Amino acid sequence: MKTKILLSILVIILGLAAGYYFFRQPALHGTIIQSPEPSFDFTLTSVNGDVSLSDFRGRYVLIYFGYIFCPDICPATLANVGQALRSMSDSQAEDIQLLMISLDPERDTPEKLAEYVAHFHPSFIGITGSQEQLAAVTSLYGIFYEKHVGSAASGYLIDHTATLLVIDREGYLKLVFPFGVTSKDIADDLKYMLKQ
Amino acid sequence: MNKYLLNGVYSLLALIVISAFAFKIFQPIQVLPRIRLSPAFDMLDQDWMRLTNEDVRGQMVLYTFTYTHCPSPCHDIDKTMQEIQSRLSEADLGETKMSFITISFDPQIDSPLVLRAHAESIDADTDQWKFVTSPNETLLKTIIGSGFHAYYEKNPDNSFTFDPSFVLVDGWGIIRGEYKYQTEVSTADRILRHISVLADEVQNSSGPQKVAYEAAHLFLCYAP
Repeated sequence: MKTKILLSILVIILGLAAGYYFFRQPALHGTIIQSPEPSFDFTLTSVNGDVSLSDFRGRYVLIYFGYIFCPDICPATLANVGQALRSMSDSQAEDIQLLMISLDPERDTPEKLAEYVAHFHPSFIGITGSQEQLAAVTSLYGIFYEKHVGSAASGYLIDHTATLLVIDREGYLKLVFPFGVTSKDIADDLKYMLKQ
Repeated sequence: MNKYLLNGVYSLLALIVISAFAFKIFQPIQVLPRIRLSPAFDMLDQDWMRLTNEDVRGQMVLYTFTYTHCPSPCHDIDKTMQEIQSRLSEADLGETKMSFITISFDPQIDSPLVLRAHAESIDADTDQWKFVTSPNETLLKTIIGSGFHAYYEKNPDNSFTFDPSFVLVDGWGIIRGEYKYQTEVSTADRILRHISVLADEVQNSSGPQKVAYEAAHLFLCYAP
């Protein structure tokens, strides 16, 4: 009888543990997208020539839209991604590529972009294109942007959607991080996905 | 003791499997899939006011695509939008805001003035339902065709061949439902049902309940 009681208690404890395991907070901090189709492929220009999203099949790609003169949001996000990559092992970090797409092709030449993104992490790639190319890419990734002429000493600022997008190894949009995501959350999610 | 431990492990595994099956079979919570990002846009509405995707962030939005000089069958699309708008109270939106946006793919004819006249002709409530377009036809094609996956093509007689459809987008700018217009069954019923499911998720998926909603996404517990 005593054995049965002990066994029942053990089963209940294990059941609670199973319940916790099953219903625990999901590992991912970003919003998961279950897209049935690959993300829009694009080709933009880096300091080393054309770069396409499809060049990175087999690796996770982080896409961030911003610009060099961006006073706060862009450097904060890029710094967080850089810190997240540094918190990972070399082999994990090598599996991830950040592409920063500049929304300011007038001022952000590929050379300046390469210099800018290297401040955050040596692996980062800065790319941009014509206004027509950017209009198509931003639209299809849900990124709104708008120039505010004369609103800053530097000439103008660009308001833009500040989400950080994660594309999986097969080119499918997998995760959307809102602005303000911490480097730890980015690192946790990326490590989790790299194990998949 | 080893035997008890083994039994415990088996019980644990059985519980996990049973829980997973139970969740999948009984679907205590249903959700709509997160299909892809809704495209960004910057257009003019029927009152010459600028409307961007950022203006409707935080709201659920039902989009449709048409042109105002479309022959009579097209008016069923407007009627469906109107029906959904008028029956919105059935969906229990709570504090969640809902907007309706009709995007015209014929900016050459559908100026804001024409859109205004069209809205008035069908007695649309333009506080909640906007009629928009963009003069940039290339970008319009990108937004409607590639972004919303709504097919349209201009004919030599300036009419359009298109696939009437509706797209439901959540407050985070993620497409949650795509509906081809159907004559056999009520498209409005299906969309209203999905609006209700989405509103439930918006209102209840914060805090500890978020876990259950994420489990529903994980187990593909999609509303029919």
